[in-house]
Amino acid sequence: MKRGWFYLIGFLVLVLFDSVGAISFKYAGMHALPVEANTAWLLRLFGKPWIYGAVIGYIGAFFTWMTLLKHAPIGPAFAASHLEVVSVMLLSIWLFNEPLRLPHVLGAIAIVAGIVCLGLAESREHVPEEDEA
Amino acid sequence: MPTGTISPLVALLWVLNVVLDTGGQLAFKAAAGDPAAGDGLARWLYMARRPWIWLGIASYVIEFLIWIAFLSLLPLSEAILLGSINIVAIMVAGRFLFGEKLTRMRVAGILLVTLGVAIVGVGG
Repeated sequence: MKRGWFYLIGFLVLVLFDSVGAISFKYAGMHALPVEANTAWLLRLFGKPWIYGAVIGYIGAFFTWMTLLKHAPIGPAFAASHLEVVSVMLLSIWLFNEPLRLPHVLGAIAIVAGIVCLGLAESREHVPEEDEA
Repeated sequence: MPTGTISPLVALLWVLNVVLDTGGQLAFKAAAGDPAAGDGLARWLYMARRPWIWLGIASYVIEFLIWIAFLSLLPLSEAILLGSINIVAIMVAGRFLFGEKLTRMRVAGILLVTLGVAIVGVGG
């Protein structure tokens, strides 16, 4: 059962890093407004700490993903790695007071269902190499 | 805070994000999947002398900035849903360029994700 906990905690850490990355990206953009295609915008962007939070989130997610992939079956791993869509949605409602509107809820349900299908498709193709230890 | 209207600029940033993300992934795949590359340090040196890995890195650096601009102009909850289209684009491109299989389950997944993104894009 040790393995189950390893996956569960690993996936939670992955979703956490992905969410921190996405939220830091948003804050980075908000603090550098207005968006311009010039160096002034880049200086505003890199002059605030948020963008470094985004980089840390991405690097953390990358190494967590690589660690998980060493052992975890690819299907569930793939699905879990994209389910930050849900956590980021919920966090943005809370942090940025974004309204939760019907098209977003319906769209999110279809996207999550699609991600689950893709995860199942991956699992089926990689069955033989699963769980040898 | 703009409330989810998709302006031409937002649409352009969205398309650029998909193109750069897919292009970057495919470039990395081309770099990593080259059987002539060898192993260990020699493999990295071989990859560094060819354009693919640099193309991938350049795509990602530009995508990073495009993604921030995109997020600045849309609510995050909406932007993260619209960004899910990258999953579809990479799978479809993998099918055409690397002959990766599209099983029935994969097609179902691709259609559902696309449907979800369309609902958010049109209704958002």
